[in-house]
Amino acid sequence: MTEYLIRRVLQSVLVIFLITILTFLLIHAAPGGPTQVMLAPGLTPEIFAQQAKNLGLDQPIPVQYFHWIGDLLQGDLGYTFKNHIAISDLLWPRIGNTIILMGAAWLVSLLIAIPWGIYNSTKVYGLSDQTASFISYLGFAMPTFWFGILLQQWLSLKLDWFPLSDMHTRGKEDSIADLFMHLVLPVTVLALGFLASYMKYARASMLEVLDQDYIRTARAKGVKERKVVFRHALRNALIPIITILGLDLPILVGGAALTENVFNWPGMGRWFVEMATAREYSALMAVTIVTAVMVVIGNLLADILYVVVDPRVKLGKQGGKAA
Amino acid sequence: MAKKRKWWSGLLVLSLVGVLFTGCSTNNTAGSSTSAPAATTAPAESTAPDATEAPAADAPVDGGTLVTSSFSDIVNINPLLVNDTASGDVAQFVFAKLYNLDREGNVQAEDWSLAAALPEISEDGLTYTVKLKDTAKWSDGQPVVADDVVYTVEMAKNKETGSPLISAFDKVKTVEKVDDHTVKFTMSQIYAPFLYALVQEIVPAHVLKDVKPTEMQKNAFGTDPAKTVTSGPWKWTAWKQGESHTLDADPAYWGTVKPHIAQIIYKVYADQNTEVQAIMKGDTDHISAIPVTQVEAVKADGKIDIIQKPGAQYEYVNFNFDGKNFPDGYGLFQGQKTRQAIAHALNRQGMVDNILKGVGALMNAPFLPDTWADPGDAAVNYDYNAETAKKLLAEDGWVADAKDGILVKDGHRFSFELQYNAGNSRREQVAAVIQQNLKDVGIEVKPKAIDFAAWIDQNVTPGKYQALLLAWSLNTPDPDAESIFSSKYFPPAGQNSGWYKNEKLDKLWVDGYSTVDQAKRKEIYKEVGKEISTDLPYVFLYQYGQAIGTGPRVHWAEEDAPEPSLGYGQFFHAIKWWVTE
Repeated sequence: MTEYLIRRVLQSVLVIFLITILTFLLIHAAPGGPTQVMLAPGLTPEIFAQQAKNLGLDQPIPVQYFHWIGDLLQGDLGYTFKNHIAISDLLWPRIGNTIILMGAAWLVSLLIAIPWGIYNSTKVYGLSDQTASFISYLGFAMPTFWFGILLQQWLSLKLDWFPLSDMHTRGKEDSIADLFMHLVLPVTVLALGFLASYMKYARASMLEVLDQDYIRTARAKGVKERKVVFRHALRNALIPIITILGLDLPILVGGAALTENVFNWPGMGRWFVEMATAREYSALMAVTIVTAVMVVIGNLLADILYVVVDPRVKLGKQGGKAA
Repeated sequence: MAKKRKWWSGLLVLSLVGVLFTGCSTNNTAGSSTSAPAATTAPAESTAPDATEAPAADAPVDGGTLVTSSFSDIVNINPLLVNDTASGDVAQFVFAKLYNLDREGNVQAEDWSLAAALPEISEDGLTYTVKLKDTAKWSDGQPVVADDVVYTVEMAKNKETGSPLISAFDKVKTVEKVDDHTVKFTMSQIYAPFLYALVQEIVPAHVLKDVKPTEMQKNAFGTDPAKTVTSGPWKWTAWKQGESHTLDADPAYWGTVKPHIAQIIYKVYADQNTEVQAIMKGDTDHISAIPVTQVEAVKADGKIDIIQKPGAQYEYVNFNFDGKNFPDGYGLFQGQKTRQAIAHALNRQGMVDNILKGVGALMNAPFLPDTWADPGDAAVNYDYNAETAKKLLAEDGWVADAKDGILVKDGHRFSFELQYNAGNSRREQVAAVIQQNLKDVGIEVKPKAIDFAAWIDQNVTPGKYQALLLAWSLNTPDPDAESIFSSKYFPPAGQNSGWYKNEKLDKLWVDGYSTVDQAKRKEIYKEVGKEISTDLPYVFLYQYGQAIGTGPRVHWAEEDAPEPSLGYGQFFHAIKWWVTE
């Protein structure tokens, strides 16, 4: 297991390195640069050129890349071009804000989706299952920004139950209760989206397991239904769900740009769009790296959890004992 | 192995999506009025907006917080580098200017200006002597002195700084300190718009004197509140990037008029829609641009006062005169009658009434209506008349093709691409009207929306397009527009991106700024108006404006109301405003 993990981490580092090169090249191939965005179009190209020179943007792309990667290896994510602010000062607080938002939405949806999906797998096409289906369709079909605006119109502007946007009320930055109130609407929007897919996965995965021979055998042996579901079926059903959760881990830091925009949440998704718009190469690279690392971690965690959930899985070893 | 491949490819897909996102994104700057400052226009002879019933005339109260907002964050508030709306917004609260503009756009030494009196201009128009108040101080307690002005102008003039102010100061031959509170500017030529260049914030030489010009952009002055020494009524005390700025009244402010408002919060919203919702909820007290489509909804809410009036910006269709941009090198817009026909074919009043909802004024020359340089009837007004348009096109040799009715001349179809920036809903609508109007007279228009940065980079700056739909946002009230229309300013170095050449106009622009006698200048710009509206390098469409919204907590006396026709006029005389809880 340890050897496997080490090998996996080394491979990941190589992949991340290749991705940085690819991303760097592709970003530079896109038209417009930080100076173009920063300066109004009426200003002369000489000013563009001088600004670019002052920022080191006139250097060949490989030179810029090696500067950046050199700094990165020393733990320095670089600076924004338009105003020379350290990327790390901008990035980490936003990741924190996004984790709060996405984490809350993720947790809420998991807590509802998994038990509900499992329950529905035992009562297929019952009222609960059909209600869940309806909610799933709603979650898949409804554009998040539209749902967000709808909630704002009714629950904030008309009824005044919740704050309209932002993370805190001015002057109440330390209040957890205030943060909670600001979370309700965006979490509702995001959780509905997650809920729909997790519930489907949980239900489908459970149904598949319940259809297998060993479950039939258990039932035939007269094992109680509750025991069949929770002791025999659940563990196996959780494996594919864990895979999905592992792969979804990066969304916890990646943010949801539209929802963050609608609710003016100062998170990663919104920031990434801003930085992309401004052609802030260093910032985009930093986000790419962080996301790539999260993907790797997500995969590793999923693999580790497989072992925990199902000890029969012996990762990376050929010829493990067949079960 | 299969699983491994999946997550490797997952990573690749992620990074590709990131990159694609970059390529496809639009731009806030683009979404707004998009355009270059630099051009100049005349002082607006406007009166206080009559739409403002707002603010109670009760006695002002001191204290309280004004929350104002924007939908983009600052870049840098260092006055040498300010070049975007948000940075300008914050800068004008915290930095005093040498001179300020009154509501009519005249240069004045106000109580809050650094200069003590209007500049003395020598009889030959070549030297300007500026006296500073001896009471003015920086927020670190140092006096504001002549050295600061000299330093600011020298840095602005220095090409290595990359300052957008260079065009305002490049005709200054020398700038000298006469004594601690007197500065003398000697011009290399008579340049009338220079008076407006003096409506300018300055930077503290004692803080920045050791910074190399090429390092100015990287210096923390202008991006770190703790390191930004200011001179205005409010100090910049905090900046949460992408969220808000805090500006606190400076207790040691030197001006004789002190600000009533104790604190200004400048909030940053993700977009205009979010901002409009915020003002309706009361989360912000003042926004400077309610989208036209939402004005009625905000009015219906009843709590928000709206000031609607055309501002210092105008929209136009720019023809390209460089044949290289057309198939076979055949420029479609070479004929003067052809251009005049297009002007007749466009329903400009319809655009103002339906798209701008009446908040706009037709223009026939590059001078804003009702300003001293407005040529009035001297400029040709092209009424909406498809028949006249067809007649002019026929006179210019265009004949309708028997198959599809599109005009043809010398074997060339009259079909062109009209470029504008994606994401600007006003332009999307106007482009559709242009397409329909010109189709009615036999001209095929293919509107093309392009991402702002890509557009500027690949089309506008190098002058590679057939026709543009764009606007100029004017940041000084002087009417000089040589840098847009003179053949001295062809791409890539200049702003005459349509490669327009008219020797008579080239000379008139120089005449226009080579005298400081306003009566003479007025005559010259009348002639410019006549010539440019006849020859038509642009079809001037309309002056337009954005609706300013103000919540019930904000108050001002009538003479201090926002003035949309001035640059940053949404905060006109904010030093005298007050807020109630």
